[in-house]
Amino acid sequence: MEQQLGSSSFQGPEAVLNMQPSSSIGIAYHPLFGSHPDLILLELDDKLLPDLLLHQRVSLRGQPDEDAVLCTQSKTYAIKFVGTSNSALLVPPSHLYQLSQNSQHQEPDTIIPDDGKLIVPIIQVAPGNMELLEVAPRLDKLKLLLSQKPYSYEEALEDMEKDDKTGLYRWPDLVDMVQASNGELENGLMALSALEIDGYWRIVDEEYMDMILRMLLQNSILNEWSLDELDEDEVVSVLVADGFPCNIARHCLHVYGSKVVDGTVGRNAWRLDARRVGVHFARAILRSGKMKMDNFMEEWLRKIPEGMNVSFSMLEGEVLTDKFGVETWVYAFRVSSLPSTPAERFAMLFRERSRWEWKDLEPYIRDLKVPGLSSEGLLLKYTRRTQPTADAEPVFSAR
Amino acid sequence: MQIQVKCSCGGEKCPEWAIIELQGVVEVQPWYEGRPLHNLQIGTLCRPSSQENYTLTIGYHELTGSKVTLKKPLVVLQKVKPTPPGTPNTSNPSSSPQVELDVVGIIRHKILFKTRPKALISS
Repeated sequence: MEQQLGSSSFQGPEAVLNMQPSSSIGIAYHPLFGSHPDLILLELDDKLLPDLLLHQRVSLRGQPDEDAVLCTQSKTYAIKFVGTSNSALLVPPSHLYQLSQNSQHQEPDTIIPDDGKLIVPIIQVAPGNMELLEVAPRLDKLKLLLSQKPYSYEEALEDMEKDDKTGLYRWPDLVDMVQASNGELENGLMALSALEIDGYWRIVDEEYMDMILRMLLQNSILNEWSLDELDEDEVVSVLVADGFPCNIARHCLHVYGSKVVDGTVGRNAWRLDARRVGVHFARAILRSGKMKMDNFMEEWLRKIPEGMNVSFSMLEGEVLTDKFGVETWVYAFRVSSLPSTPAERFAMLFRERSRWEWKDLEPYIRDLKVPGLSSEGLLLKYTRRTQPTADAEPVFSAR
Repeated sequence: MQIQVKCSCGGEKCPEWAIIELQGVVEVQPWYEGRPLHNLQIGTLCRPSSQENYTLTIGYHELTGSKVTLKKPLVVLQKVKPTPPGTPNTSNPSSSPQVELDVVGIIRHKILFKTRPKALISS
């Protein structure tokens, strides 16, 4: 390392990558060599390249106090910096970092042997690179944001456009604030039964949903509608006549029903879903606190519309039972109200109960999806499994 | 907030960069210390035969290595401050975030010298 180079013409990376046999090139520091903190090396899978290079559908998301994630159209990745003790000398294409007239002659004491040797310049010694790790979208925040101001009956009654939009979020606001890909955000909104009202994504207040569902069921008796084949236009027009907004009436069918595939053109039919209707009424009954099993079942079955078949097992992930002596009590414990990160989820579960039987535990963890970790892996990591005898039911407790 | 990753390099024509990787750190001779490194020659890279084997001579030391293809490519991103609104050619001045990331290159291969240097004994 004794010679300095002058303004010889620099070669690009191809001079290194396509070197001819029996040839040599000089390696030198670029006139603009430096730490270049604006350069980032990101390691990624070949299959993500088209998203990045062709479709340009990749973005980094996060608030200043959060660790940034990288989102493609459908997935979310954590970003990890991996340092190296090796020296990675970076060779840029020659059209980048071109020299201005000034910098070309900044070294007056240049000693360059004019032997015609090609020179490849190094712009930076890379300190390491970023790696991606697929992670679950951070959707708890979405739930938190939308729960701030649920759409209520009172708000629906107000005709006037309200000026106060605090606690309301449009799609771009959600993209800004929630660390999830667009696809995962859409699924998250669907899972929360959210709908777009006047451009804002909202969840509808449970009492309001209760009102409209009971109205729908009453109307089905009055008009002798089949709950397996509700005509969308008819249902909506009757509910609108009863004072409900059209979009909320339609939303009610989406939340409690599923579309019936029907060949008839121009007609949308819906079937009410027994489980979703059953869960709705169970929630409404248990909102005031725990109940004796017999009383609960009596009241619950009374609320279920005639002809709809429900069973207690439909309430998995919604209620838990406790035995006190001869009596069994039921109380609400909703999986949808629990955190979606495994560590926090298990902490909450073991705070609720110190020991879980598998059949009780399973409904509360089956929605946990951790890329790269199976459900057995999750149990191993977060629980202690005890099984007094080989054929006894295993019991899970906190680690 | 959201930082869009842009690609001004033109998709499949994204220019390839190269990495020359070696163990440890390249240091200048003690007598040169403190002076700017710019334009200083580090060494000579040589491909002695038609095989993908390479030598890198730095001072009186020689490294032996080979060209390897990265298992996963590295993308070179550059943080860019978008041109402030008002200047011509800004495509979307209303919602410009503080920075953007621009894909300026891709790295698929490196010349890797993973052995310790061998001293060249002058005859």
